[in-house]
Amino acid sequence: MSSTSQKHKDFVAEPMGEKPVMALAGIGEVLGKRLEDKGFDKAYVVLGQFLVLKKDEELFRDWLKDTCGANVKQQGDCYGCLKEWCDAFL
Amino acid sequence: MSSLSNKSAQEISDLLDEYGIKHGPVVETTRNLYEKKLKEAMAKGKRAKPSPDKTYYREEEEEVTYVYRTPTRSEGSGDSGAYVRSRPEWNEKDYQHETSYSSYSKSKPEYSRSNYGNEPDMYDTPSTYRSTYAKSPPMKSGQDVPDAPKSSRLIPLWLQFVFFLAVAAFLYLVFSTMETNEPLKGIK
Repeated sequence: MSSTSQKHKDFVAEPMGEKPVMALAGIGEVLGKRLEDKGFDKAYVVLGQFLVLKKDEELFRDWLKDTCGANVKQQGDCYGCLKEWCDAFL
Repeated sequence: MSSLSNKSAQEISDLLDEYGIKHGPVVETTRNLYEKKLKEAMAKGKRAKPSPDKTYYREEEEEVTYVYRTPTRSEGSGDSGAYVRSRPEWNEKDYQHETSYSSYSKSKPEYSRSNYGNEPDMYDTPSTYRSTYAKSPPMKSGQDVPDAPKSSRLIPLWLQFVFFLAVAAFLYLVFSTMETNEPLKGIK
């Protein structure tokens, strides 16, 4: 398992509440802005999408790539972050 | 074919199931993604409605021809025959490529292993692998079993046969030159 970033650790440590979408691992300013423009302005909205895609890795990755142009690493980071958060809190 | 965006969510969902694409509910935010996936699947020409009869028939045909071919081409086709057996669910396309690749790649290590002319060994190893092809007749028996002309191979059958004979002839040459012991005795 690859090492997780500080951002990842911070995110999965507590309920996400009203955290912005840029708090997600793998989502920086650029991607965050693109997601916000599409209406995904909070982390929990992306969480909603993640759940609607049944937490499936491939589907979520494809969706992320199509929606904000995330590359493979960013997709993986975001997926891992959300998955772990769900495992802990959902 | 009506455009995907005109279809209802239920229809999209049904289409995804037909193509065997795993999916969640088709809602506003997921619709785009699923439409894209369907377009890709259609472009690839995947079997939307699987026709089991057709594939089954093809498989049988494949197996039959490989059984015939084993005597003439020993380990080459024998291996690909085993491949056929173990993976009956593959597409025909994948089939052809995979079997020709496997027969090609497998024949090479076999040749290198049987270094200098232990030709019977070459047959024993594959035959122990698969008891179905236990009868491994000698290579030079030249059984011209009617090869079902499957011209959809990557490398044509006759070429493989020629290659096989060429390597066999080479090995025979090498073997024959090694037999002369007399010069050694002379030196002694």
